[in-house]
Amino acid sequence: MNRIRYMVEKEIQQLRRNPVLLRIMIAAPIMQLILLSYAANYEVKNLNIAVVDGDHTTYSQRLVSKFRYLDNFKMTGYLPGDKQARQALLAGDADLVLVIPPHFERDLEKEGNTSVQLLLNAIDGSKAGIANGYATAIVRDFNSDIIAETKVVTPGVVPQLDIENQYWYNPKLEYKTFMVPGVLFELLLLVGGLVSALNIVREKEIGTMEQLNVTPIRKHEFIIGKSIPFVVIGLVLFTIGLLLGRFLFQVPLVGSVALMYVFAVLFLILCVGLGLLISTLAENQQQALFVSFFLLVLFILLSGLFASTENMPVWAQWLNVINPLKYIIEVGRNVMLKGSTFADVSRQFGALAGMAIGLLLLASWRYRKTV
Amino acid sequence: MEKAVSTHQLTKRFGDFIATNAITFDVAQGEIFGFLGANGAGKTTAMRMLCGLLKPSSGEATVAGFDVYRQSEKIKQNIGYMSQRFSLYEDLTVRENIRFYGGIYGLHRADIPAKTHQILQKLGIESVGDSLVASLPLGWKQKLAFSVALIHEPKIVFLDEPTGGVDPITRRQFWDLIYEAAHGGTTVFVTTHYMDEAEYCNRVSIMVDGKMQALDTPAGLKTTYDVDSMDAVFQILARGTSAK
Repeated sequence: MNRIRYMVEKEIQQLRRNPVLLRIMIAAPIMQLILLSYAANYEVKNLNIAVVDGDHTTYSQRLVSKFRYLDNFKMTGYLPGDKQARQALLAGDADLVLVIPPHFERDLEKEGNTSVQLLLNAIDGSKAGIANGYATAIVRDFNSDIIAETKVVTPGVVPQLDIENQYWYNPKLEYKTFMVPGVLFELLLLVGGLVSALNIVREKEIGTMEQLNVTPIRKHEFIIGKSIPFVVIGLVLFTIGLLLGRFLFQVPLVGSVALMYVFAVLFLILCVGLGLLISTLAENQQQALFVSFFLLVLFILLSGLFASTENMPVWAQWLNVINPLKYIIEVGRNVMLKGSTFADVSRQFGALAGMAIGLLLLASWRYRKTV
Repeated sequence: MEKAVSTHQLTKRFGDFIATNAITFDVAQGEIFGFLGANGAGKTTAMRMLCGLLKPSSGEATVAGFDVYRQSEKIKQNIGYMSQRFSLYEDLTVRENIRFYGGIYGLHRADIPAKTHQILQKLGIESVGDSLVASLPLGWKQKLAFSVALIHEPKIVFLDEPTGGVDPITRRQFWDLIYEAAHGGTTVFVTTHYMDEAEYCNRVSIMVDGKMQALDTPAGLKTTYDVDSMDAVFQILARGTSAK
């Protein structure tokens, strides 16, 4: 047991001697938290809209003016025809073009029925989808205005079905609220997994690992001694991140803080286990860096940090079964935003604990005191 | 007499390459045993097998009475090891290094300060106790590494080219330390390229291409090969050429 204390003491001394690394380990993730949470934003603003008005009537003017008064749209002007509309899309001058056909007003009044056309630049699929959503809502709004004006509404005769949306757990649809819990854990993976792997491989490179291997230090003493400092640093980081999320980003923290910490510790142990495993496989820091980086990117992209995992193809969902980041991000969002209790996230706890134990066992099996 | 190291037909193969080929020898307790050979002759491989860093391919060996196959962790409690590569932490101070290795070797917490003081005093480096090891001259580092390898008072200490790259005066001082340790009953197993150092050993073995070609006292070897220096003995055996 005593040897673990000496290992931890030594790691702390070495970290203190390397203030640059310490600063990078604390500052870089926090920068990332702030940048990612602000920048990775799916809210679509300043969509350039151009209009081809084939009707030039009061109705068509009213429809167009509805687009003018919305933040999300920026009117770039009128275009004379379809050909120019296509050119505007091609040149990137417009993100979408509203085409109002001739006889728009007449058809609406006489036949109670007409259509408009929306042309969208859909290279960025999600942006186009959102733009389409906004535009459709505006047209629908216009539609109901007209119905209200033209039809003599007798209560009970025209059934009105209104959908009123209520967004739960993130009522303002704040993107930051969605991102912060995810980024918080992604950072722990970075520090716990990558930095710990590099730390151990460095001892291999400078030869102190061989020296340790001729001492009577036991495997578990080495592994625990190496893990504790990284778990502690990770927790410091987690605390800073949680405070930033709460007070800078105003992300709600509905659930139990203690539960968040239980999961943070579990996740950090898992990450250090991964780092240890990588360090037993890699001969030098370059290899360790490459392997860690490969895994990190894979974990992050599949984790649901940016895009919902439910919409991913089946094979990706299968890969996600062994993606620790996916589970912990679910936990972070559910506990922070919904106030989930331990019972609600016990499935994730089981999966993460299983992976942590598995990784540690694999690492200690791979770690040999012989070369 | 109790044997510190005993091997029988000890062999290590790496694929088709036989690094250490069936070597058989004994080292007595308290002996200074020189292990000579050209680069690549298999010295380091043999030493690593004895330290429990490498599993032998075949043959037998015991170190401090423990079997290298089954009791390598027991061996590690009883040996000190100083590798070719400098193996202290450069980013820790002298005191911190002593404290760390002392702790890892299971020294009592209360004994470490006294041990630290003793080492610093013996090496005459009290003034740099709180300096980073990286800032010390190479000769000091190596003497410190040797003292750290002896911190748990092991029965045997393995030194792999401990004096590589240091000046003759420091080498002389280093050998004073080796004598002192041997005088205290520690067996010293040392590899070297310096033939004057070979003269300091009680017995010397010379390895050529993985095989042990000679094993005797320096005086005995010189008589056998009818030359007047260890250098000449080495020339005859390792290069296969006559010194005359």
